[in-house]
Amino acid sequence: MMRVKQNSAPVGVRHAGWDVSRVGMLVDVSRCIGCNSCTVACRQENALQGSDGWLKVWRRERLGTQLIRYDYSQSCRHCADPQCLQACPTGAIAYGAGGVVRHHEEKCIGCQVCAMVCPYGGVKVMTNGKTGKCSLCAHRLAKGEEPACTAVCPTGARTFGEREALVREAGERLDALRRQGLRGRLEGNGDLEGKGGHKILFLML
Amino acid sequence: MTSYVRTEVYRNRRLPGDEGKLLPSICSLCNGGCGLLVRVNDAGYVEAVYGDTGNPYNQGKICPKPMEIVQTLYGAQRVDHPLKKVNGIFQRISWEEALSLVTEKYLEHWQTSGNSAIVGITSKIGGSHSKLALSIFSELTGLVTYGTGPICYDTEENVRKAMFGNGSASAPLADAVEAGILLIVGNNPAQTKAGQFHWVQEARYRGTKVVVIDPRYTETARQADRFLQIRPGTDGALGMALLHEVIAHGWYDASFVTERTNGFEKLAQAVTEFSPVRAEEMTGVPRRFIEELAWDLSTRKPGMLWEGRGVVCVNNAGNTLRVFEALMAILGNVGKPGAGIISHINGYGRAKGLVPGADVVKPERKRSAEALYSALENGEIKMLLIAGNPCANWPDCGRMQQAVSGLDFVVSHTLVLDDSARLADVVLPATHWLEEAGMQASVHRVMQWKEPVARPYAEAKSAGEIFRLLAAKMGLPVKYFPDSPETAWEWERTHNGDIAGITVERMRRTAGGVHYPCPESGEEAVRLFQNGVFSTPSEKVELVGSDVQELNYLDLLAAPGNRGLSRQEYPYLLSTVKVAAHYHTECQYSDWAVALEKPCVEIHPDTAANLSIREGDRVRIETPVGSLELPARLTWTVPRDCLFTQPYFTQTSPYGQVPANILFPAVTDPEGGNFVNKNIMCRISALEVAGT
Ligand code: SF4
Repeated sequence: MMRVKQNSAPVGVRHAGWDVSRVGMLVDVSRCIGCNSCTVACRQENALQGSDGWLKVWRRERLGTQLIRYDYSQSCRHCADPQCLQACPTGAIAYGAGGVVRHHEEKCIGCQVCAMVCPYGGVKVMTNGKTGKCSLCAHRLAKGEEPACTAVCPTGARTFGEREALVREAGERLDALRRQGLRGRLEGNGDLEGKGGHKILFLML
Repeated sequence: MTSYVRTEVYRNRRLPGDEGKLLPSICSLCNGGCGLLVRVNDAGYVEAVYGDTGNPYNQGKICPKPMEIVQTLYGAQRVDHPLKKVNGIFQRISWEEALSLVTEKYLEHWQTSGNSAIVGITSKIGGSHSKLALSIFSELTGLVTYGTGPICYDTEENVRKAMFGNGSASAPLADAVEAGILLIVGNNPAQTKAGQFHWVQEARYRGTKVVVIDPRYTETARQADRFLQIRPGTDGALGMALLHEVIAHGWYDASFVTERTNGFEKLAQAVTEFSPVRAEEMTGVPRRFIEELAWDLSTRKPGMLWEGRGVVCVNNAGNTLRVFEALMAILGNVGKPGAGIISHINGYGRAKGLVPGADVVKPERKRSAEALYSALENGEIKMLLIAGNPCANWPDCGRMQQAVSGLDFVVSHTLVLDDSARLADVVLPATHWLEEAGMQASVHRVMQWKEPVARPYAEAKSAGEIFRLLAAKMGLPVKYFPDSPETAWEWERTHNGDIAGITVERMRRTAGGVHYPCPESGEEAVRLFQNGVFSTPSEKVELVGSDVQELNYLDLLAAPGNRGLSRQEYPYLLSTVKVAAHYHTECQYSDWAVALEKPCVEIHPDTAANLSIREGDRVRIETPVGSLELPARLTWTVPRDCLFTQPYFTQTSPYGQVPANILFPAVTDPEGGNFVNKNIMCRISALEVAGT
């Protein structure tokens, strides 16, 4: 039987337990086919109904010298220096284990300031007026599983693993894009100790 | 600013937990055959669906559809008991009463009007057990049924059968990783087989050149090495130019052509006029790219072809499919690893001799799918058995609804009270594929066995069970009906030499399933025609059919559905296209799918500007058979003057949308008999401006 090399980065299936401070995710819009598997998996995993969602895929197109059409699978980036956390008046947004940025519904008063200040559209407003956002599937990580979205993503557009390895993987993918005449950029590749670092890396077109 | 917090929606979320069991299944939606793991709680209800990491073909990856399906399993929309319509209102009845009613009507119409007064439209009959039971019932009664063929693949199957003697895929998708070039024509597997699309990416990663031919810049095109944007309906001209190039330069596999094919001279003759220069005029694809593709096909061997509904459900499909498949044949791209034709058509032949000749009843009449409409309308047909949703999925569905309403007796075997079931006199609750055992074939030419993961919902029964009960009531010999999915498969296997080696046991223990054909000896064939012997009477590839006319290029404006229409009156071309979140009309009951996909019509911004249409404006689309209102979505990815919408949405679902099939005439491709859901002439007008 042939083995498909889906992702060059390690795919975390039933890992013995993650060192959450070192894990990350690579979201690569150049590989996204807009199938919304991640969106639905996220809603299934976190029991979100209807239009409530922590992840949203946006159809994007840009006409310049060539037509750039891509799908942007948008969700919380788990910044090292999160603006939502600083703005939240009630402490509903706080660091969880390993630097995951957690949102606690029961403390949320629905002021929606976090959704306003997040530069990446990572915090979503729910139908009940409160906000909600990606938890990096902390409950799954604790069981040694990877997050729901990366587990189903059929194209490697959402990949989970050691952040270090994902940074290298992103570099390779950027090189490959360059060979096709496409300029991509990696976002969130800063230092996790200082500013500009994100647990979730975004390769954007 | 105050904010009102509604607590009930979001706060009381109950996460799918770890309790219950995780059971394997095989997705039975798109024929991708992805392995699933289903979380079933202690009460026996399905809670969540995941990808099966142990399945070698999808390795845990899935598209959104099987997850959405969970939301459609339980709830108000699911039919739970047999129903009978009394004065226009459905009333609950027992299975006993329902089957007696059906029997009484069946026998009455059979006796008074003959067996062809009853027909079936059965595209959603169920798994392998139900399919076999239906075919046995048909043999015993002469019932003619229409499956998915006319609305999906008839032309593809017929053309391939005529050329190679076998209509199914000749190679597994997994072979793409060994191909030098993969040609994807009128096909968007990134949406329609999203869970298996990584095979295309993997192939590309390993060096296969992926070339996509499509009028739209699709999700698949974005992932290709080369995208050729073609004028809708002109793929045949491009294919003929490729043949012209390959033949003129002598780039074909000469020994394969002489030893293994018939009709090469006629083929060469038919394409002499199709120079790349002429093809450029017709298709809009620059000549140098046509020449480049011909060269690539000749030098990057082996090569594979994957055609989609964009060249099958069109009014000139026969010619188009024939030229592309002939191209693969003369290049010698058959029967080798990395060569051949990929398709979701996975026919494996019929079980023969299950009903002895003496008990077989022949249908008194057979009608083409196109002729079915008038037979339903003019009283020839009295009774209809439905398992599917033809009142939304068949073309000219407004006419279909009218025709069905006028029948004396209609039975619908269904999961939900959809557009077709509402017109029925008796509704029978059907089992879901997650509740039924059976063999599921896949785009990798494998057969996988799935067990039921949940017990049938409420009083639901599978068609396999119903036909057995019905036969007993009708006084037909029950002994011909298998009593379980396992027995059904055992009977099929032992009466069909091509799958004789594939036991349920073997499928159960083989992750990813067993390739077929696989005779008694047990040796699987990964791909067809590996020994160079074809299933045609001549044992060679028939490059041209008995009728050379079939090679004549058919212009889409002169083909059925468009012929005779005025271009002034109907200046645009309309097609339906697929999205990943929907499958037929099933997924529209999932509130996730509803939140993700809204019906719309895609229009090129220049065309929209000419018509003063802006993003989100409601527009009216009209064809000679129907009209429809939709919001506009402006996108540069579609060609000018061409409109694209989605075929899934219906009036009785949460969408409350008139189905797009209302716009398509019930005409078929002249050669292959497929209904058409692309490239139909239409007009469009702005209705109201968004936001006013
Ligand atoms: S790609 Fe097809 S087989 Fe796979 S999960 Fe989706 S619908 Fe099911």
